[in-house]
Amino acid sequence: MLKAKDYRTELQPVWCARCGDFGVLKGLTSALVDLQVPPDQLAVISGIGCSSRLPGYMNAYSCNSIHGRALPIATGLKVARPELTVVVVGGDGDGFSIGLGHLPHAIRRDVNLTYVVLDNGLYGLTKGQASPTTGSELKKALGLAGQNERPLNPPFLVLASGCGFVARAHAGNLPQLREVLKQAISYPGFAFVQVMAACATYQPQSYAEELYQRCGVVPDTHDATDLSQALSLAMDTDRFSLGILYRRAMGEAAGGAPFERPGAETAAAD
Amino acid sequence: MNEVELRTARAMTGPDSLPGGGACIGLALVGSGGDGVALIGDLMMQMAARQGLFGMMVQAYGPQIRGGESAAILRLSETETVYEGDHADILVCFRTSDLARFRGTVRLHERSTIVLDQADPGRLPDWLGRDIAEVLRFPFSRVVEGVEVPGEPRNMLAMGLVCRALGWSAEVAHAALSQRFGHRPTVLSQNLAAFDRAYATGALPELPVLTPRASGLTVESGNEACARGAMAAGLRFFAGYPITPSSEVMETLIEELPERGGRVIQAEDEIAALGMVVGASFGGVPSMTATSGPGLSLMTEMLGLASMAELPVVVIDAQRAGPATGMPSRTEQRDLFHAIYGGHGDFPRVVLAAFDVVHARDLMHRAFAISEEHQLPVIVLTDAYIAQRRQIRTTPDDLPPPRRRRVWGEGDTMLRFALNHEHGATPFRVPGTPGGTYLAAGIEHTPQGSPTSDGTMHQRMSEKRFEKLETIALETSACFRMLGVPDAPRLLVGWGSTFGVLREFVAQHPEFRAFLPEVIHPFPRESFEEWRAGTHGGAVVELSYQGQLHQHMSSVCDMTRWTRACRSGGLPLSVAELAVMLEVSPC
Repeated sequence: MLKAKDYRTELQPVWCARCGDFGVLKGLTSALVDLQVPPDQLAVISGIGCSSRLPGYMNAYSCNSIHGRALPIATGLKVARPELTVVVVGGDGDGFSIGLGHLPHAIRRDVNLTYVVLDNGLYGLTKGQASPTTGSELKKALGLAGQNERPLNPPFLVLASGCGFVARAHAGNLPQLREVLKQAISYPGFAFVQVMAACATYQPQSYAEELYQRCGVVPDTHDATDLSQALSLAMDTDRFSLGILYRRAMGEAAGGAPFERPGAETAAAD
Repeated sequence: MNEVELRTARAMTGPDSLPGGGACIGLALVGSGGDGVALIGDLMMQMAARQGLFGMMVQAYGPQIRGGESAAILRLSETETVYEGDHADILVCFRTSDLARFRGTVRLHERSTIVLDQADPGRLPDWLGRDIAEVLRFPFSRVVEGVEVPGEPRNMLAMGLVCRALGWSAEVAHAALSQRFGHRPTVLSQNLAAFDRAYATGALPELPVLTPRASGLTVESGNEACARGAMAAGLRFFAGYPITPSSEVMETLIEELPERGGRVIQAEDEIAALGMVVGASFGGVPSMTATSGPGLSLMTEMLGLASMAELPVVVIDAQRAGPATGMPSRTEQRDLFHAIYGGHGDFPRVVLAAFDVVHARDLMHRAFAISEEHQLPVIVLTDAYIAQRRQIRTTPDDLPPPRRRRVWGEGDTMLRFALNHEHGATPFRVPGTPGGTYLAAGIEHTPQGSPTSDGTMHQRMSEKRFEKLETIALETSACFRMLGVPDAPRLLVGWGSTFGVLREFVAQHPEFRAFLPEVIHPFPRESFEEWRAGTHGGAVVELSYQGQLHQHMSSVCDMTRWTRACRSGGLPLSVAELAVMLEVSPC
């Protein structure tokens, strides 16, 4: 029986106190305990940023690569070694700014990856610049660049790209994050999870509180297999619904997962 | 540019001969997109190979990659040829307006046969150096009351004329056409009819008959050779992005790699392509991408990651004329600096260069051997002149797959990046191996793989990684070719596809000898010094405006008395042009 600590290295995270990344690390190790994935069958891949330091803290075959390029690296790994469980972690700058070009393509390939984005709406590692998901009000309040630029809406964007599994969680709500990550890792195609968090250092405490207030679980009536309902939830930028927004019913996957056809050999086999 | 024109215009002597004996015949075919000029070339290469003749074919087109004017230059020969020749013996041209765009590509001698369309009122360009009065006319197009109407396929008419002049039997062509068009009976019968009618006219003067001396010959392009060589060397994962002139590497692998249990992904860009290759290699699988200059530029950051995280990757760069978009379908040797030095923060990588199609296949073997064994990026430079040429070759012997990277096991160090270990490379941890988990990182790391910003560790890790190059330099010190007799007084250095022209140049000018490195970086310095011992200077021949190889060699040895025989690419070098560059009297 694997425990949470079995998924951790001895390295102590460099994150600031109260950083949402601690929640992601804890949520991920808990979900892996639930799924009992052996650490040597697990790969955790990241780009660059605060959250991209996470693979260093995981007892797994990990790769802390270059800014924005985690998805291609994970795609190559998973296609070459389909038997591995591959989790990609990163931040909003890494995934939605420099690396955004890769996201729709990872989605349409539908390679079985779990992509977890800690979305704190700014660049923490480089000390507080605006990211593609920073809201105008915050940019104005903090005097950041691009005050008239609208933020991206990640769940809407990935749904529109055809993503088969879209979920949202809050870094401070561990049970819900754990459950969402467990479902995402179990999903047999490309799964996207947006984890909401505030930056403990470069955003005011009031922003963190307001963000938490604006989050709430998806309504009981929500049918996660209904794309239009999922899109409606994703379009709501006042209130952030937490939970599984969309999970494509099996058999509906457009084209299936092309690299994991039954009977296909693994590339590693000679 | 004027100088280049001048040099090519001076090339007017008699027919070419091959080094080491054996007759050869040059053909130039010129038309517009849709005339099927390339098809004639392809079919004739197939026919030649089947009859036991050698040959090679290059295609040229205008700035657009698809459509527009097109030329095929063929050389057919009794022995192996890796150069297209200085002169065509026959030029078939459907439209003189198309011919005008192939200055320097189409080169004739004073007895070459020129065949034009009867209906073509155009002139021959002055640079061709031939008079319109010497031209043969053939009714390729059908003209009714001054208007061209659909008629017989003109490429088949041309093929009939040329095959007859070569003294080839019509059956050889029939077999090739049946194989090509067997599934389209109407097209086949039209083509056969046109071929036979032109063949029967015997309108062209007979050429010297080439005597077959070999059997079991096949036609292969440089890109196909790279793809197949990589598969034979153990390639099991490829990701790429379409780019001229390297796309056929990916196309060949899409076709042929899955049946060997490998996977191919067409990536969204070159950054992703090398990223996927890095990921697959992290997974323990021999992996490769192929691109051209613009793609290599995009891949540069990822190359640094592969070097830093010690992941074996092979990158083929089929060079084209640059920078920026440059001339995508034209050849050049100007990515050498980028391949050796490109990237921030200075990292070890190995750069190899292919001489021709046959060598390209074998070179992939070396690329994978070095990359896998030493866990670092290997860049294989070809160029448009090799990548897209079709060459007739003997059936390749499949070499046994090279050794793969040494995999971590019992008794091995627990440190993934241990210092002072087997010349830089430490046993590789393949995901899935119990107890072997580690962090592969682009961030500087300790021997355990933990991130660090300790300057001393950075120095020691740099030493560890660069130590690989010293080992590789020792292992590859014999990876070069020499041309000419050992005591020839005049010295040349060339690399890559210039091998073809240098081979013929040195055969015709025995006062020269040449040294051509196969491993460009780390440069086989000691072998070079031994080769040039007691001499005083020479010239470095390359298709590079700045003379990149000359400059690179200057950083590893004394080149003060060596000159540069270099120019921009676009057109490959010819023997006659080299003679002018090197101030040799014509022979």
